[in-house]
Amino acid sequence: MTPVGEQERWEVLEKIGAYAAGELEGEEAREAEQLIFDRPDYRRLAESYARMLVMLSTLGNERVEAPEAIVNYAVRRAYVSAFMRQAEAFLGSLGRSYLDALVYYLGLRPPRRESYGGGT
Amino acid sequence: MNVEDRDLVARASRGDVEAFSKLVRANSSLVYRVALRVLGSEEAQDASQEVWIRVWRNIRGFRGESAFSTWLYRITVNTCLSVRQKESRREGWEYGGEEIPYLPEPPGGDADPEAAALSAERREEIEAALERVRAEHRAALVLRHMEGLSYAEIAEVLGVPDGTAKGWVSRGRAAMLVALAEADSDRNAKGSAE
Repeated sequence: MTPVGEQERWEVLEKIGAYAAGELEGEEAREAEQLIFDRPDYRRLAESYARMLVMLSTLGNERVEAPEAIVNYAVRRAYVSAFMRQAEAFLGSLGRSYLDALVYYLGLRPPRRESYGGGT
Repeated sequence: MNVEDRDLVARASRGDVEAFSKLVRANSSLVYRVALRVLGSEEAQDASQEVWIRVWRNIRGFRGESAFSTWLYRITVNTCLSVRQKESRREGWEYGGEEIPYLPEPPGGDADPEAAALSAERREEIEAALERVRAEHRAALVLRHMEGLSYAEIAEVLGVPDGTAKGWVSRGRAAMLVALAEADSDRNAKGSAE
Protein backbone atom coordinates (compact mmCIF):
# COMPACT_ATOMS: atom_id res chain seq x y z
CA MET A 1 0.00 0.00 0.00
CA THR A 2 1.40 3.44 -0.86
CA PRO A 3 1.99 5.75 2.07
CA VAL A 4 -0.81 8.25 2.44
CA GLY A 5 0.37 11.85 2.39
CA GLU A 6 -0.57 14.27 5.14
CA GLN A 7 -2.78 16.26 2.80
CA GLU A 8 -4.63 13.17 1.72
CA ARG A 9 -5.01 12.04 5.33
CA TRP A 10 -6.60 15.39 6.22
CA GLU A 11 -8.92 15.11 3.23
CA VAL A 12 -10.13 11.71 4.41
CA LEU A 13 -10.47 12.99 7.97
CA GLU A 14 -12.57 15.92 6.79
CA LYS A 15 -14.65 13.87 4.37
CA ILE A 16 -15.60 11.32 7.01
CA GLY A 17 -16.26 14.17 9.45
CA ALA A 18 -18.64 15.80 6.99
CA TYR A 19 -20.34 12.44 6.44
CA ALA A 20 -20.73 11.88 10.19
CA ALA A 21 -22.25 15.36 10.47
CA GLY A 22 -24.78 14.45 7.76
CA GLU A 23 -23.47 17.10 5.39
CA LEU A 24 -22.65 14.97 2.37
CA GLU A 25 -25.08 14.06 -0.37
CA GLY A 26 -25.09 12.01 -3.56
CA GLU A 27 -21.76 10.92 -4.94
CA GLU A 28 -19.74 12.41 -2.06
CA ALA A 29 -21.83 10.52 0.50
CA ARG A 30 -21.40 7.28 -1.44
CA GLU A 31 -17.60 7.79 -1.59
CA ALA A 32 -17.48 8.31 2.18
CA GLU A 33 -19.64 5.22 2.74
CA GLN A 34 -17.31 3.20 0.57
CA LEU A 35 -14.28 4.35 2.59
CA ILE A 36 -16.05 3.44 5.82
CA PHE A 37 -17.13 0.09 4.42
CA ASP A 38 -13.66 -0.78 3.12
CA ARG A 39 -11.57 0.06 6.17
CA PRO A 40 -12.33 -0.69 9.81
CA ASP A 41 -10.16 2.22 10.98
CA TYR A 42 -12.30 4.62 8.93
CA ARG A 43 -15.40 3.02 10.39
CA ARG A 44 -14.02 3.71 13.87
CA LEU A 45 -13.18 7.23 12.74
CA ALA A 46 -16.80 7.82 11.69
CA GLU A 47 -18.00 6.47 15.04
CA SER A 48 -15.54 8.73 16.86
CA TYR A 49 -16.83 11.74 14.96
CA ALA A 50 -20.40 10.81 15.82
CA ARG A 51 -19.46 10.61 19.52
CA MET A 52 -17.68 13.93 19.40
CA LEU A 53 -20.59 15.65 17.65
CA VAL A 54 -23.00 14.35 20.26
CA MET A 55 -20.73 15.69 23.01
CA LEU A 56 -20.47 19.08 21.33
CA SER A 57 -24.19 19.27 20.86
CA THR A 58 -24.85 18.20 24.46
CA LEU A 59 -22.48 20.86 25.73
CA GLY A 60 -24.00 23.40 23.34
CA ASN A 61 -27.50 22.66 24.65
CA GLU A 62 -26.53 23.22 28.26
CA ARG A 63 -27.92 26.40 29.70
CA VAL A 64 -25.26 29.02 30.34
CA GLU A 65 -26.09 32.07 32.40
CA ALA A 66 -23.91 35.14 32.03
CA PRO A 67 -22.59 36.46 35.35
CA GLU A 68 -24.69 39.37 36.60
CA ALA A 69 -21.51 41.46 36.71
CA ILE A 70 -21.43 41.52 32.88
CA VAL A 71 -24.95 42.87 32.61
CA ASN A 72 -24.36 45.44 35.36
CA TYR A 73 -21.12 46.60 33.80
CA ALA A 74 -22.65 46.96 30.33
CA VAL A 75 -25.65 48.91 31.60
CA ARG A 76 -23.50 51.15 33.83
CA ARG A 77 -21.18 51.93 30.91
CA ALA A 78 -24.15 52.75 28.70
CA TYR A 79 -25.58 55.14 31.33
CA VAL A 80 -22.22 56.89 31.72
CA SER A 81 -21.83 57.11 27.97
CA ALA A 82 -25.36 58.48 27.51
CA PHE A 83 -24.73 61.03 30.28
CA MET A 84 -21.48 62.12 28.64
CA ARG A 85 -23.22 62.48 25.29
CA GLN A 86 -25.90 64.68 26.84
CA ALA A 87 -23.37 66.67 28.83
CA GLU A 88 -21.34 67.20 25.67
CA ALA A 89 -24.41 68.38 23.78
CA PHE A 90 -25.44 70.67 26.65
CA LEU A 91 -21.98 72.18 27.05
CA GLY A 92 -21.71 72.55 23.31
CA SER A 93 -24.96 74.49 23.10
CA LEU A 94 -24.05 76.52 26.22
CA GLY A 95 -20.67 77.39 24.72
CA ARG A 96 -22.32 78.43 21.47
CA SER A 97 -24.75 80.66 23.38
CA TYR A 98 -21.90 82.34 25.28
CA LEU A 99 -19.98 82.84 22.08
CA ASP A 100 -23.05 84.35 20.42
CA ALA A 101 -23.50 86.66 23.42
CA LEU A 102 -19.83 87.71 23.29
CA VAL A 103 -20.00 88.36 19.58
CA TYR A 104 -23.12 90.43 20.12
CA TYR A 105 -21.53 92.30 23.07
CA LEU A 106 -18.42 93.17 21.13
CA GLY A 107 -20.48 94.19 18.16
CA LEU A 108 -18.71 91.81 15.85
CA ARG A 109 -21.81 90.49 14.17
CA PRO A 110 -22.70 92.34 10.97
CA PRO A 111 -26.15 93.91 11.29
CA ARG A 112 -28.88 91.82 9.80
CA ARG A 113 -30.81 93.33 7.02
CA GLU A 114 -34.36 93.16 8.05
CA SER A 115 -36.97 93.05 5.45
CA TYR A 116 -40.61 93.62 5.91
CA GLY A 117 -41.42 92.66 2.42
CA GLY A 118 -41.63 96.28 1.30
CA GLY A 119 -38.79 96.14 -1.18
CA THR A 120 -35.64 98.30 -1.02
CA MET B 1 -36.38 39.56 14.83
CA ASN B 2 -39.71 40.02 16.58
CA VAL B 3 -41.51 43.33 16.91
CA GLU B 4 -40.44 43.84 20.51
CA ASP B 5 -36.75 43.27 19.71
CA ARG B 6 -36.98 45.60 16.74
CA ASP B 7 -38.48 48.26 18.95
CA LEU B 8 -35.78 47.78 21.59
CA VAL B 9 -33.02 47.98 18.98
CA ALA B 10 -34.56 51.12 17.45
CA ARG B 11 -34.85 52.78 20.87
CA ALA B 12 -31.35 51.72 21.91
CA SER B 13 -29.94 53.12 18.68
CA ARG B 14 -31.47 56.48 19.62
CA GLY B 15 -29.58 56.38 22.93
CA ASP B 16 -32.31 54.89 25.15
CA VAL B 17 -30.36 53.16 27.91
CA GLU B 18 -33.43 51.38 29.32
CA ALA B 19 -34.01 49.69 25.96
CA PHE B 20 -30.31 48.81 25.71
CA SER B 21 -30.39 47.32 29.19
CA LYS B 22 -33.33 45.07 28.18
CA LEU B 23 -31.39 43.96 25.09
CA VAL B 24 -28.36 43.15 27.25
CA ARG B 25 -30.45 41.11 29.68
CA ALA B 26 -32.19 39.23 26.88
CA ASN B 27 -28.98 38.38 25.00
CA SER B 28 -26.27 38.24 27.65
CA SER B 29 -26.27 34.44 27.77
CA LEU B 30 -25.72 34.17 23.99
CA VAL B 31 -22.69 36.48 24.14
CA TYR B 32 -21.21 34.85 27.24
CA ARG B 33 -21.82 31.31 25.94
CA VAL B 34 -19.97 31.97 22.67
CA ALA B 35 -17.12 33.78 24.45
CA LEU B 36 -16.85 30.88 26.87
CA ARG B 37 -16.59 28.32 24.06
CA VAL B 38 -14.18 30.33 21.94
CA LEU B 39 -11.95 31.78 24.66
CA GLY B 40 -12.43 29.66 27.78
CA SER B 41 -13.68 30.66 31.20
CA GLU B 42 -10.79 32.93 32.17
CA GLU B 43 -11.34 35.43 29.39
CA ALA B 44 -15.05 35.05 28.68
CA GLN B 45 -16.20 37.69 31.13
CA ASP B 46 -13.85 40.46 29.96
CA ALA B 47 -14.61 39.64 26.33
CA SER B 48 -18.38 39.74 26.97
CA GLN B 49 -18.08 43.16 28.59
CA GLU B 50 -16.09 44.37 25.60
CA VAL B 51 -18.78 42.99 23.27
CA TRP B 52 -21.49 45.04 24.99
CA ILE B 53 -19.36 48.20 24.85
CA ARG B 54 -18.98 47.64 21.11
CA VAL B 55 -22.71 46.96 20.70
CA TRP B 56 -23.62 50.22 22.47
CA ARG B 57 -21.07 52.13 20.42
CA ASN B 58 -22.21 50.68 17.09
CA ILE B 59 -25.91 50.08 17.49
CA ARG B 60 -26.72 53.31 15.65
CA GLY B 61 -25.16 51.69 12.59
CA PHE B 62 -27.32 48.56 12.82
CA ARG B 63 -29.74 48.80 9.90
CA GLY B 64 -31.66 45.61 10.44
CA GLU B 65 -30.46 44.06 7.17
CA SER B 66 -29.56 40.92 9.12
CA ALA B 67 -31.14 39.54 12.28
CA PHE B 68 -30.03 41.27 15.47
CA SER B 69 -28.74 37.91 16.74
CA THR B 70 -26.54 37.49 13.64
CA TRP B 71 -25.14 40.99 14.15
CA LEU B 72 -24.54 40.17 17.82
CA TYR B 73 -22.83 36.88 16.95
CA ARG B 74 -20.59 38.80 14.53
CA ILE B 75 -19.51 41.34 17.15
CA THR B 76 -18.99 38.56 19.71
CA VAL B 77 -16.88 36.39 17.42
CA ASN B 78 -14.85 39.37 16.16
CA THR B 79 -14.17 40.46 19.73
CA CYS B 80 -13.09 36.95 20.72
CA LEU B 81 -10.83 36.60 17.69
CA SER B 82 -9.25 39.99 18.34
CA VAL B 83 -8.56 38.96 21.95
CA ARG B 84 -6.78 35.89 20.62
CA GLN B 85 -4.80 37.91 18.08
CA LYS B 86 -3.71 40.39 20.73
CA GLU B 87 -2.50 37.67 23.04
CA SER B 88 -0.27 35.93 20.57
CA ARG B 89 -0.09 35.44 16.89
CA ARG B 90 0.50 31.77 17.36
CA GLU B 91 -0.26 29.40 14.58
CA GLY B 92 -2.97 26.90 15.16
CA TRP B 93 -1.89 23.44 16.06
CA GLU B 94 -2.07 21.03 13.16
CA TYR B 95 -2.24 17.30 12.97
CA GLY B 96 0.86 15.54 11.72
CA GLY B 97 0.20 12.06 13.06
CA GLU B 98 0.12 8.88 11.06
CA GLU B 99 -2.66 7.14 12.89
CA ILE B 100 -6.34 7.60 12.35
CA PRO B 101 -7.73 9.25 15.50
CA TYR B 102 -10.08 7.16 17.56
CA LEU B 103 -12.32 8.20 20.40
CA PRO B 104 -13.57 5.19 22.35
CA GLU B 105 -17.03 5.14 23.83
CA PRO B 106 -16.71 5.92 27.53
CA PRO B 107 -17.93 3.30 30.00
CA GLY B 108 -20.79 5.55 31.14
CA GLY B 109 -22.01 5.81 27.57
CA ASP B 110 -22.08 9.60 27.36
CA ALA B 111 -22.50 9.35 23.59
CA ASP B 112 -26.23 9.28 24.28
CA PRO B 113 -27.36 12.81 25.04
CA GLU B 114 -30.47 11.57 26.79
CA ALA B 115 -28.56 9.13 28.97
CA ALA B 116 -26.34 11.46 30.88
CA ALA B 117 -25.01 14.96 31.06
CA LEU B 118 -21.32 15.26 30.31
CA SER B 119 -19.07 14.41 33.21
CA ALA B 120 -16.88 17.21 34.56
CA GLU B 121 -13.83 15.37 33.30
CA ARG B 122 -15.24 15.00 29.80
CA ARG B 123 -16.25 18.66 29.77
CA GLU B 124 -12.70 19.68 30.67
CA GLU B 125 -11.35 17.47 27.90
CA ILE B 126 -13.67 19.06 25.36
CA GLU B 127 -12.70 22.56 26.47
CA ALA B 128 -9.00 21.68 26.38
CA ALA B 129 -9.39 20.14 22.92
CA LEU B 130 -11.25 23.21 21.67
CA GLU B 131 -8.33 25.33 22.90
CA ARG B 132 -6.03 23.40 20.57
CA VAL B 133 -8.06 24.20 17.48
CA ARG B 134 -7.02 27.28 15.53
CA ALA B 135 -9.14 30.29 16.60
CA GLU B 136 -11.08 30.87 13.34
CA HIS B 137 -11.76 27.16 12.92
CA ARG B 138 -12.84 26.93 16.56
CA ALA B 139 -15.23 29.84 16.16
CA ALA B 140 -16.75 28.22 13.06
CA LEU B 141 -17.02 24.87 14.84
CA VAL B 142 -18.72 26.44 17.87
CA LEU B 143 -21.21 28.30 15.68
CA ARG B 144 -22.05 25.17 13.70
CA HIS B 145 -22.08 22.35 16.24
CA MET B 146 -22.80 24.15 19.50
CA GLU B 147 -24.91 27.10 18.39
CA GLY B 148 -26.59 25.27 15.51
CA LEU B 149 -26.15 28.01 12.88
CA SER B 150 -26.45 27.26 9.17
CA TYR B 151 -23.43 27.69 6.91
CA ALA B 152 -25.00 30.82 5.40
CA GLU B 153 -25.35 32.31 8.88
CA ILE B 154 -21.80 31.30 9.84
CA ALA B 155 -20.49 32.89 6.65
CA GLU B 156 -22.34 36.10 7.48
CA VAL B 157 -21.11 36.13 11.07
CA LEU B 158 -17.50 35.48 10.10
CA GLY B 159 -17.63 37.73 7.04
CA VAL B 160 -16.34 35.03 4.69
CA PRO B 161 -17.79 33.17 1.68
CA ASP B 162 -19.96 30.10 2.38
CA GLY B 163 -17.25 27.75 1.08
CA THR B 164 -14.68 29.19 3.51
CA ALA B 165 -17.12 28.80 6.40
CA LYS B 166 -17.64 25.15 5.43
CA GLY B 167 -13.89 24.59 5.17
CA TRP B 168 -13.24 26.15 8.59
CA VAL B 169 -15.93 24.02 10.24
CA SER B 170 -14.55 20.92 8.57
CA ARG B 171 -10.95 21.64 9.61
CA GLY B 172 -12.06 22.55 13.11
CA ARG B 173 -14.01 19.30 13.40
CA ALA B 174 -11.02 17.22 12.31
CA ALA B 175 -8.54 19.08 14.55
CA MET B 176 -10.89 18.78 17.50
CA LEU B 177 -11.25 15.03 17.05
CA VAL B 178 -7.50 14.57 16.81
CA ALA B 179 -7.00 16.64 19.98
CA LEU B 180 -9.69 14.69 21.85
CA ALA B 181 -8.29 11.34 20.72
CA GLU B 182 -4.79 12.37 21.82
CA ALA B 183 -6.08 13.50 25.21
CA ASP B 184 -7.90 10.22 25.56
CA SER B 185 -4.85 8.15 24.69
CA ASP B 186 -2.67 10.23 27.08
CA ARG B 187 -5.19 9.61 29.85
CA ASN B 188 -5.19 5.88 29.15
CA ALA B 189 -1.39 5.80 29.08
CA LYS B 190 -1.28 7.57 32.47
CA GLY B 191 -3.92 5.24 33.83
CA SER B 192 -2.02 2.12 32.83
CA ALA B 193 1.28 3.53 34.16
CA GLU B 194 -0.22 4.12 37.62
